Amino acid sequence: MEPIKAIDVRIFPHRRLKPGTTEKLLNELLDLEGVLKFLVNGESLPKVVGYGPARGTRVNHPDRKIITVKGKEVELLVSVGDIIVTIRHENLEEFVEKTKAILEETLNFGFDVRVGIFTRTKTTVSDKLKVAYGIEEDFDPNLIGLVDPKTNSKETVKLIGD
Amino acid sequence: MDPDFEMKKIRSINDEDIVSVLGHRNPGESYKSVHPPLDEMDFEEDMMKELVEPIPGAKEGGRTRYIQFADSMYNAPAHPYDRARTYMSRFRGVDTGTLSGRQVIEIRELDLEKISKELLETEFFDPAKTGLRGATVHGHSLRLDENGLMFDALQRYVYNEETGMVSYVKDQVGRPLDTPVEVGEPLDEEHLKEITTIYRSDNVGMREDKEAIEAVLTIHKARTDGGFGLGVFKNDLKAKLGDDK
Repeated sequence: MEPIKAIDVRIFPHRRLKPGTTEKLLNELLDLEGVLKFLVNGESLPKVVGYGPARGTRVNHPDRKIITVKGKEVELLVSVGDIIVTIRHENLEEFVEKTKAILEETLNFGFDVRVGIFTRTKTTVSDKLKVAYGIEEDFDPNLIGLVDPKTNSKETVKLIGD
Repeated sequence: MDPDFEMKKIRSINDEDIVSVLGHRNPGESYKSVHPPLDEMDFEEDMMKELVEPIPGAKEGGRTRYIQFADSMYNAPAHPYDRARTYMSRFRGVDTGTLSGRQVIEIRELDLEKISKELLETEFFDPAKTGLRGATVHGHSLRLDENGLMFDALQRYVYNEETGMVSYVKDQVGRPLDTPVEVGEPLDEEHLKEITTIYRSDNVGMREDKEAIEAVLTIHKARTDGGFGLGVFKNDLKAKLGDDK
């Protein structure tokens, strides 16, 4: 595999995004050139109440919805706080400019767009464990930094496009 | 905090609705008791018991129950420490606990409902930035959502985009309610900025914030002086060293 030059762009809205807005944003961002992967971060939303007298009751959180990104259904597991986009380095300037324009149009509150490295770039022991011990048989090295070491990447990673 | 200051009442909520949101007993159900009424009990003679008038709930022997609030850092009207001081100065017979993001008040059930009514109906409470949460309280330090609501993993309250009202669909601990309880519309953000008790400013460097630096320095100086006992223990120390003559 030939190494490519990539960089992260972190979109940090000043409010937590609703599923509808996230869907719109992701679809528009995916149309831009040079996009490699998205990391949608936020506070995780439980499916059932974890503790207290109501333990075991379903939560039915309105933010935990299934959104459609480019025709693929993606279940949002978090209340969206920020979106980290990994892009090809040569598309950086154009991407940032267009992203700002999209955000200004979609959001009616402030946001920050920062450029830097916000995802892991090296394989960790847990990543290696996943492969070596067959925890996940065909662990794709492209997923490094996208997946929480404790989770199963099948649940949290969705492949969209080619 | 001043107990003589009358808080502005800005909304009204049914007593029954408050009972159902608290979730300690069903509306209409009688209070459970943990001991017989005080009048029927025999006590050995005690000056203090004669001096202190028991609160109504204690007289009846009711259970001790709680109400807990989480206050957003984004200009909620009240904050844990202020709440604690306010509770202590305004109400009798309360036990209150302060944590960074939430504030619990424990008192006999009968009195709790009266207090809850006061706390929920006055400007002490904002439907969007204050949350009634018994368990899973996380959210006070997170960004607000698009409608200005504080994060709640259990989504006890929802914002109706058409009417602009916030209503509770679950009780304090996350058990679904039969009928939603409307708690009015969120307060205006500008107004909240004026009445909030929190000190905050966003995106300002610590060293550029004169007021914050002044407060930190004052605390630092007071702690240092107090810790070393400068001026306080001087004479004591001198005496020990035999230097006081």
